[in-house]
Amino acid sequence: MRDLVFVGYLVALLFIAFKRPFLFTLVYAYIDIVAPQRLSYFMLNSVPLSLIVFALAFLGYMFADNKQDSRFSIRQAMMLLLLAYCGYTTIQAEVPDAALEKWGWVWKALIFAIFLPLTLKTKLRLEALALFMVLCAGTLIITGGIKTLASGGGYGVLVLLVDNNSGLYEGSIISTVAICIIPLILWLANHGTIFPPDWRVKIFSYALVLAALLIPIGTQARTGLVCIGVWVVLQLRFVRYRLLYGGVAVALGLMSIPFLPQSFTDRMATIENYEADQSASTRIAVWQWTLDYVKQNPFGGGFDVYRINKLTYELSEVDVTQYEEWGIDPDDVDARLVEDEARAFHSSYFEMLGEQGYPGLILWLIIHVGGIWRMEVLRRKYAKSKKEGEQWVAPLAIALQHGHIIFLVGALFVGIAYQPFIYMLVALQIGLDTYISRRAAEAQWRPIKKRLTGTKKPLALQTPGGTYTN
Amino acid sequence: MIDNFSIALTHGLLLIAAWRLIHRDDLDLEDPPEQDKEPSGFLNRPSNSGSQHDA
Repeated sequence: MRDLVFVGYLVALLFIAFKRPFLFTLVYAYIDIVAPQRLSYFMLNSVPLSLIVFALAFLGYMFADNKQDSRFSIRQAMMLLLLAYCGYTTIQAEVPDAALEKWGWVWKALIFAIFLPLTLKTKLRLEALALFMVLCAGTLIITGGIKTLASGGGYGVLVLLVDNNSGLYEGSIISTVAICIIPLILWLANHGTIFPPDWRVKIFSYALVLAALLIPIGTQARTGLVCIGVWVVLQLRFVRYRLLYGGVAVALGLMSIPFLPQSFTDRMATIENYEADQSASTRIAVWQWTLDYVKQNPFGGGFDVYRINKLTYELSEVDVTQYEEWGIDPDDVDARLVEDEARAFHSSYFEMLGEQGYPGLILWLIIHVGGIWRMEVLRRKYAKSKKEGEQWVAPLAIALQHGHIIFLVGALFVGIAYQPFIYMLVALQIGLDTYISRRAAEAQWRPIKKRLTGTKKPLALQTPGGTYTN
Repeated sequence: MIDNFSIALTHGLLLIAAWRLIHRDDLDLEDPPEQDKEPSGFLNRPSNSGSQHDA
């Protein structure tokens, strides 16, 4: 039954999209985030859905869009370079089969992120993509939020729509993503035009933010808690009454502790006592291994190179009582030694370093840190703008920047260097950046003489009504 | 039950958004921006740097 509904829904969405081909791009984003083929049992599984819709989006852009307004940015070039470099390391990979499998989805995420900004050439398109990203992620977040409220969740227990641990459906990843889109949710609630801000939009947005905050509690991913902390601190930058805000945030945080499930508070307590935690020890061991590995292989070992690691590390300061519980003598040093192999990176930075070496890490950092820098430039430029039509720019730049910072902090502890959702955020940043540069150039003051001769007429003026609008 | 509620809610909103988008002309083409009242840029920048685009 669910299958039929999804097929019908997709057909309806695609049917609408034929009217305005840009919508194919949004439908692709929807398929990439929600993965309806995973929610259904047959039918959608059997067709290469994302390939078909991407082809439609690309054709729509090629034949129905005015390419004059598209700009190619440095960061898109960096992504293209990264894509080529990843292709090269995949050929040379230490673990060829696993590398090829990961390459199979990474190239799609990068290609889409390179393509997407070309299509984002009006303010409404930027907003539409932001709205689709929020609502699609919202499908998982609302489910997770309600289930957490109802049951309390648990690490690896909370099932979001499907019992599948890939893509956004993995606990740590959805925790990071849920928090990093909160600024975007709030921007849409204040500056949206598709759903203009009214009481319904506000209630939905605040409920969605609450659900997003509940996700780290439900999945019990510690990274999520760190992300919430980062978000709260970032909010301090622009609130008017910082002391009051800080006080209320601390008070709310403390007041929520009694309502949190015991298992959650227990697990979060291991953040401060990381030395006694095996998950943290493996991370440090695998990071050490990565550093040693790139000394010999500075150009990286290709995707999933972690599979060749063999780690022996010591659990230090382990709770003596816990050892006694396990029936082990705490003085026995051997018992503290844990052997492990093929441990994942548990950090996007080390993931990039190990898999793509220093060149890959540098490219990746340019793409991501460059985004934060560009958003800061835009914010400073437009924060004081008095033009009515530019009031949305600085808040969107801030939202995208904060979301990105939250992701980069979360990425310290989770291997999400190629998470497609984040690359959509990057594409949105690039789209905003190139759109604003073009509009600023069009709006530039010109002497009356030039205005009369029309040597630099804005492009949009030349085609009133637009023949390519369908 | 919760899953279906969540899917129905967000997918309904996505469909409404798509429907509203196809009726908006500014999806594909926008009006030209409001013109700057003063020159901007390094060479034309006024000494008091009062321009809106001087960051």
